[in-house]
Amino acid sequence: MICCKECIELLCDYFEGTLDSNTATSLEDHFKDCPPCVSFLETYRQTSDLCRKTLSAVEIPEAVQERLRDFVKNRIQNH
Amino acid sequence: MPTQEEKEQDEILVRDMKAGSMEAFDKIFELYQRKIYALAFNMTRNQMDAQDVTQDVLLTIYRKIDTFQGKSAFSSWVYRITLNATYMKLRTKKKEQYVSLDEGLPNFNHAGFQNDKVSDWSKGTDSLLFSNETKEMIEKAVDQLPEKEKVVFILRDVEGLSTEKVRDILDLTIPAVKSRLHRARLFLRKKLSNYFDEHQTRSTKK
Ligand SMILES: [Zn+2]
Repeated sequence: MICCKECIELLCDYFEGTLDSNTATSLEDHFKDCPPCVSFLETYRQTSDLCRKTLSAVEIPEAVQERLRDFVKNRIQNH
Repeated sequence: MPTQEEKEQDEILVRDMKAGSMEAFDKIFELYQRKIYALAFNMTRNQMDAQDVTQDVLLTIYRKIDTFQGKSAFSSWVYRITLNATYMKLRTKKKEQYVSLDEGLPNFNHAGFQNDKVSDWSKGTDSLLFSNETKEMIEKAVDQLPEKEKVVFILRDVEGLSTEKVRDILDLTIPAVKSRLHRARLFLRKKLSNYFDEHQTRSTKK
């Protein structure tokens, strides 16, 4: 059985789906017997999710958009 | 992720722009301004800086389009220019504070098994997610990442680009992208765990 440390090292590849099937199976076997690693896996995944939801919502503020349009018009197009 | 269609559209726009079409440049401006701004903003967390970077990048695209050879995707080229401009901006501002990223791992015993109980807060975050406090905590935690890990994390997990795309933009190997991504996630997971555990304690005490 692989240990928790190895398990955590493999998480990134596990989510990318790039583990060979033997390794993926031993990882899943480990999860069956190890609640701490399941919690770790869930919170590892949720970390990416929460950060994406929080940070990907960036929109350009109206005032900045206005300045960008001016910039393109005056500094780029009329040069 | 850019679809095949978007890639073809980019290629046409680049070709037209090289031939001097202002409409093509306008279209590129329209398509890319948010991507450029969002990346610059997440890296600097400053509206003025993100605006400066975006202007810089637009000017560079306009002036240097002839040097773009099409060996990589146009979008990768734009991301690279954006990061270069962002680094220039950051360099004039702060010295890099060094943070050790080792702290993201749990405690293991000598056989490599976990000693401590790991709380699973992954299901209970909905009510907290949109609070300003949570948002600020996440922004601060991401800000604490060293630049190398931060940029990989933002491109891959926030912008949702593929690992291969991130490799192309940063000119790294796939294992290097994954190892930086993994370190960033471990570090952030730890920060989020502390925060949500603390919340749990606070709400049970009430
Ligand atoms: Zn385990």
